[in-house]
Amino acid sequence: MLSTKNIISIDDLSIDDINLIMENADSFYEVLGREFKKVPTLRGKTIINLFFESSTRTRTSFEIAAKRLSADMINFSASTSSLKKGESIIDTLKTIQSMMIDLLIMRHSDSGVMNFIAGNIDVPLINAGDGKHQHPTQALLDLYTIKKSFKDFKGLKVAIAGDILNSRVARSDIKLFKRMGMDVTIVSAPMLLPENLEYFDSNYVYDIDKIIEDIDILYMLRMQFERQDRKYYPSIKEYNRFLSLNMERLKKMKRGSLIMHAGPVIRGIEISENVMNYAENYSGFKINTQVTNGVAVRMALIYLMLGST
Amino acid sequence: MIGSDNILIKSGTVFESSSGKEIVSDILIQNGIIRAIEKNINVEGISKDLVVLNCQNYFVFPGFVDMHVHLREPGNEEEEDIGSGSRAAVRGGITSIACMPNTNPPVDREYLVNYILSKSRLIDFKIYPVAAMSKNLEGKKMTEIGLLKEAGAIAFSDDGKCIQDSKLMYEIMKYASHFDLPLILHEEDYSFSNYGLAHEGYYSAKLGLDGISPFAEELMISRDIMLAKMAGAKIHITHVSSKGSITLIKRAKEAGIKITCDVTPHHLYFNDSFLESYDTNLKVNPPIRSEEDRKALVSAISEGIIDAIASDHAPHFEAEKNTTFKDAANGTIGLETLFKASYTKLVREEKIKLSKLVALLTTGPAKILNIKAPAIKVGNKADIAIIDLEKNKKIKKEDFCSKSKNSAFIGQNLYSEVVYTINNGRLEFINKSC
Repeated sequence: MLSTKNIISIDDLSIDDINLIMENADSFYEVLGREFKKVPTLRGKTIINLFFESSTRTRTSFEIAAKRLSADMINFSASTSSLKKGESIIDTLKTIQSMMIDLLIMRHSDSGVMNFIAGNIDVPLINAGDGKHQHPTQALLDLYTIKKSFKDFKGLKVAIAGDILNSRVARSDIKLFKRMGMDVTIVSAPMLLPENLEYFDSNYVYDIDKIIEDIDILYMLRMQFERQDRKYYPSIKEYNRFLSLNMERLKKMKRGSLIMHAGPVIRGIEISENVMNYAENYSGFKINTQVTNGVAVRMALIYLMLGST
Repeated sequence: MIGSDNILIKSGTVFESSSGKEIVSDILIQNGIIRAIEKNINVEGISKDLVVLNCQNYFVFPGFVDMHVHLREPGNEEEEDIGSGSRAAVRGGITSIACMPNTNPPVDREYLVNYILSKSRLIDFKIYPVAAMSKNLEGKKMTEIGLLKEAGAIAFSDDGKCIQDSKLMYEIMKYASHFDLPLILHEEDYSFSNYGLAHEGYYSAKLGLDGISPFAEELMISRDIMLAKMAGAKIHITHVSSKGSITLIKRAKEAGIKITCDVTPHHLYFNDSFLESYDTNLKVNPPIRSEEDRKALVSAISEGIIDAIASDHAPHFEAEKNTTFKDAANGTIGLETLFKASYTKLVREEKIKLSKLVALLTTGPAKILNIKAPAIKVGNKADIAIIDLEKNKKIKKEDFCSKSKNSAFIGQNLYSEVVYTINNGRLEFINKSC
């Protein structure tokens, strides 16, 4: 059993919870390797995947996880219509609650929406990403991926590169990595950072070359140049010079070091075309492994929330 | 009892406006006029319908002035109207308010000023209309400032918005200076507040809310100080929120610029750590800032840099607040908590003198608006708030009589309770729970 009913922020989980999720993920990872990839654990349970924001990998990952546990999983896509245009979010949620479901998995573009929802409904809730706030299951699957490559988290040098300001992945991952004893460096630029960095309590450099040779893990964040509120970053060329992973930098990385990304990767921005093409030959390239691990970790989490008594 | 204009206030602790002293005294009101302020007034032979209010444990203050109120009429009467807003005011011990022009349509023409004034007379409550500085609050063309003054506007403001066109702002200042009316300025440089939802700092970073830098406010205050100096205009900066703004205003005052300012109870009471709950009632503009900023506002009160406390009463109907933080409307109601929240924070916690607080709620705003301040003086029409300062109550949503219930103070324990309010010479409010 977990110590919390809802998983809104990575901070909702205790260290014991996290260890329990990691252990269970190992068992479920094994299920994924079987020919018949399904266990009957959650037969009769109903889970709703409520996505107010488009997503392929996270939504599918939760869906596969639920189905492998034999739960009934229903996808519910909703648009974030403002209250003037349509049904209010709270009415949508009350409608779904009335369908007697067992677990709600939700994504929404507004920070803090899960805190608001949790105060208004009784169903257990997993945050599958809320605005720029939190994405706790991403952090858990990232930790699980790291765990499989290193004996101990303590002292691991992690660089998180890119748009921290607008990233819920960064907010969840940095907090979790720090809690597990890792040494986190932010590689970014002032316009991609909050004015106040105190919350992240991490080192900061503006040039990836300053740390590339020393790190154990390079975690790349998605850079969305098309978004209006990101207009202050000068260009992709500037980004490539200071923040991207290219072949030359890949060669400088330590033996056994990892490259991670929450996806989707935009080729030529965070990671060069060349590196992406070469990735299959490099065992430290974990972007696809993260996706596989995500299913196992989400199975563990759903199981611990609904099935373990 | 309600409606009576023959009243004896018995043994209250009276705040005498002329001396600022507290004296235990009776006050006799006949036909709405204060006739005597003395100990043990002999009422023998005075009309039989005299209402006697026993006020042994209560303080007797002049009625408060709230210089920043959104009454939502005309246009959004489901949120508040002139009647409901004035009832909420009276419940807060307030007997004069200035109302902001961002109604629908905005108060940018004479007939709208006339409309508010005629309603004010109808309900016998002092409402001073503030008219728009720019037509339709669009920040593009000046309103008929002279005509609006003649219609009865007592100040000009585009509150809720800030004129980004600096030349237009300068022209408004120059022209308004002829009429000697203050410009009430909501200061916000949109390039620093676009997308913003919360004060830019530790908590905006943690909560993933786009930040609003204090620069948004401070840049425009700097600009307007420069312009006001050249134009000779009288400017009033409303709902000041940051430490930097205080420094700028202090210097401008020292340099002899005609500048005044107010703060809201919510900026004095809360800091941004309260946003961890994502409580949409705390979504206000300017945002609730850091503890350092909040402390600077409190110090500025002690130092006499702040000229008034005003509620920025901003009613919103439930659906506009019962939603995500991003979608929620800005604003909190504040008439009914104006005194309570200020008194709890400033006098009880920060040990600021009660007389100072009362000045910021009476003579301070009256001077800015150039209106007569309610005062407890023989010969004056009675505008009086009688308050139990020892009462301590948790604020509940259902306790508000404003049409909207979006108060940032719900859940807070606040000191004091208005027991009676005498408005325009008549006993208008009795608190039955006291």
